[in-house]
Amino acid sequence: MKKQHWSLLALLFALVLALAACSGNTAEEKPEDTDKPEETDTTTDAPEETDTASDALFDLAVTNEGEAIDGGILKVAMVKDEPFAGIFSWELYEDAYDADIMGYASNSLFEVDGNFMITDEGSIASLDVDQENNKVTVKIREGVKWSDGEPLTIEDVILPYLIIGHPDYTGVRYDSQFQNIIGAEEYNAGTADTISGLKQIDDHTLEISFKQLSPAIFYGGDGLWTYAAPAHQIADIPVAELVEHDAVRKNPVTLGAFKFKNIVPGESVEFEKNEHYWKGEPKLDGVIVQVVPSSSISVALGSGEYDLAFAFNATKMPEIENYENISVLGRPELYYSYLGFKVGKFDTENGINVTDFEGSKMGDVKLRQAMGYALDIEAVSEIYYNGLRERANSLIPPVFESFYDASLEGYVFDPAKAESILDEAGYVDVDGDGLREDPNGEKLEIKLAAMSGDATQEDIISYYLQNWKDVGLNVTLTTGRLIEFNSFYDKVQADDPEIDIFMGAWGTGTNPSPSGLYGAVDQFNFSRYTSDELEALVKGIDSPQAFDAEWRAEQFKAFQQHIEEVATTIPMQFRYEIFPVNKRVKNYSVDYSEPTELHEIELVAEEPIAN
Amino acid sequence: MWKTVLRRVVIMIPQLFVLSLLVFILAKFMPGDPFTGLITPETDPARIEELRERAGLNDPWYMQYARWVGNLVQGDLGTSYRFKQPVEDIIGEKGLNTLWLSLLSVILLYLIAIPLGMLAGRYNNSKLDKAIVLYSFISYAIPTFVLALLFLFLFGYTLHWFPTIGSVDVSAVPGSFDWYWSKIYHLILPAITFAILGTTGVIQYLRSEIIDAKSLDYVRTARSKGIPMKKVYSKHIFRNSLLPIAAFLGFTITGLLGGSIFIETIFGYPGMGQLFITSILSRDYSVITALVMLYGFLTLLGSLLSDIIMSIVDPRIRIE
Repeated sequence: MKKQHWSLLALLFALVLALAACSGNTAEEKPEDTDKPEETDTTTDAPEETDTASDALFDLAVTNEGEAIDGGILKVAMVKDEPFAGIFSWELYEDAYDADIMGYASNSLFEVDGNFMITDEGSIASLDVDQENNKVTVKIREGVKWSDGEPLTIEDVILPYLIIGHPDYTGVRYDSQFQNIIGAEEYNAGTADTISGLKQIDDHTLEISFKQLSPAIFYGGDGLWTYAAPAHQIADIPVAELVEHDAVRKNPVTLGAFKFKNIVPGESVEFEKNEHYWKGEPKLDGVIVQVVPSSSISVALGSGEYDLAFAFNATKMPEIENYENISVLGRPELYYSYLGFKVGKFDTENGINVTDFEGSKMGDVKLRQAMGYALDIEAVSEIYYNGLRERANSLIPPVFESFYDASLEGYVFDPAKAESILDEAGYVDVDGDGLREDPNGEKLEIKLAAMSGDATQEDIISYYLQNWKDVGLNVTLTTGRLIEFNSFYDKVQADDPEIDIFMGAWGTGTNPSPSGLYGAVDQFNFSRYTSDELEALVKGIDSPQAFDAEWRAEQFKAFQQHIEEVATTIPMQFRYEIFPVNKRVKNYSVDYSEPTELHEIELVAEEPIAN
Repeated sequence: MWKTVLRRVVIMIPQLFVLSLLVFILAKFMPGDPFTGLITPETDPARIEELRERAGLNDPWYMQYARWVGNLVQGDLGTSYRFKQPVEDIIGEKGLNTLWLSLLSVILLYLIAIPLGMLAGRYNNSKLDKAIVLYSFISYAIPTFVLALLFLFLFGYTLHWFPTIGSVDVSAVPGSFDWYWSKIYHLILPAITFAILGTTGVIQYLRSEIIDAKSLDYVRTARSKGIPMKKVYSKHIFRNSLLPIAAFLGFTITGLLGGSIFIETIFGYPGMGQLFITSILSRDYSVITALVMLYGFLTLLGSLLSDIIMSIVDPRIRIE
């Protein structure tokens, strides 16, 4: 008997240890990689290059002269320390890595231009927006075929709406945007057999009626769905069973340059060329995508195991810098990290942010600005990120050329200025302990919530804390240490009283509209700052008036300026994403405005070149 | 004896019950839930809340617990939030990978450790013995990931003897000879790494048992009867020295499903260890709870198996 007790105890002990150990390790290779945007159109995006000086850091494309071999297999490494989920349906997937894999067999109907806006050029479908009547007409090209040779029909365009809107659908995409389609709610409630706002005009044309259109429609928003689903393959499968079905897991048919051949669950996917690809037969025979652990990716690239790596962590740049067999491409990411200040609470009952400057420790704009000036983000970018990050001056990444306000100063490192602002605002050291008290002479302790990350994350945060101490501010960590990703967002979202300021990051997606993050009703508006002025800007950016591109751009700039002035969110860093490419690859580009045409990729050697 | 076995099995029920309660509560204590990780500027908080509600995560914990136990008793482990597949399918898939890896590792482990342990015991204090002891201490002291990375770089990336990643070549046709061969080929390097790391225990036990046995009466008796030393070692001493190893056999067998997070991550070999960790990180409750229950059950079973095995190999021990 005694022995059994011990074994159970031992087991529980082990369990507790395991759980404790795990929570410490979170997001090992993802420093402050808060949120991937829903990559609804990752691979087909053709956003524009910006002309900020930093872009010159990397090439955007490889051309590799030399005789191309006939066919060949492109070997792609996907850097990831866990298996992929393997849900190969644009309607159902949740893990961004699944989307990266699907990119090789894209079902995308639309291409986008340098501004990330849908364009007819090179697209399978054309988009006509009738702004006055809130209607959109999608017309598909004739003669486009699925990878199994079946023609693309308008049913294939309608089907995704019926999947997402279905009562049995359990994904995140049935959201307020989707409900913007007339009849979507009735269909979801089960009171209608179909979505009344979808009207099939003929075999190639679909008319969609929306409650309200905004410029987001040009980015594939407002409820518009930009992918086709193979109706001949999956229309008869009940929506509830779809996610487990072979048509999603094993043999989905595609419209893209490649089609699925073999899938080893969680590990690798083999594609072969799609002879029916409407842009022409791909020059490669196929593509293999393989999950490669971050611990060995650099060596693997050096020994010529792979042609490309995506999701390659930029902090590993020094490890591959000297390899002569690879070129490193890079581009600014649609991302910014920020320092947020809690200046209010979210009123869950009424679903609205309530700003309370007077009642918040961080209510004084001078204090917030001083904290921004005190941070030596420049040094951190240089030393810890090898210049692959830079101080952000705005909440819109520079990639969005027409919206980004390059003229903003941002909070450039200036401790003297920080000190003078604090003095001016009455934050002075009264008791002589070297730390400033608040204007009432009370001790001031500011609690910072920061996410745990890789090994350098701790050093970086300590450095920031020291920066603040240097100007006399006593900033300590919420919970006394860095916080694991899930807990971090749990606490930040719940307005934990232990959090005065927090460091987070957002992937902006291709439509950088601030709604969702800075609006009065937005739960993800973590700083809880809202005002009539801000709300007007946020609303304005997505209003019908904003169909006037110039006006919209002005609103964007006004938004950035406003946030800079109130400093409730201080942008910290923009970052680069880098793509190592083996020298045998020809015609590969990460340029947003001239993306790779998958069927044009060629290889100049039988095997990847080794270092 | 069978009565005892039956009793032990019956006792497992309350033990598993307590475990289920603990794991469930602990899992719920973790901050966040499976939907926390989904937030992006483009997701709709209202939809996430709806999904939460639909998944029953807003119910009081005892209701969730009752529902979960109810399903568990009927053999329904639920659906993974991350993989969107029945939990038993995922565990089946990853478990099979782990099972093959562990099986080969254990076989290699005994193949390496038993001869070394015997040699060290037989020729103790010789140079050979010292070398073996040194080896066993090094293999014990070296961190898993260091050895795994070293082997990967040496035998994988530098010498190209073994594949460096995954459990099978994606181009092999499932079911074909190539496919089976590819699976085995991919197993070898991680299995060797795993085996080398685990040899210490077996070597040390075997060595000290043999050294002890050398001076025991039955050995002297055997020698005095004129049995050659070689035979005394292989027949008399070896058998008795294996007893402590047999004591662990039950745990070894049920431990085959344990998996190793380091080996699996470094060799990109998706198995149970990785599944467990990633489920915890993504708060995939249904997988976490299922795995802990499985491991709990296996541990209890392992201890029972060990006792049964001991009673079989050592007639002096009788379970009462």
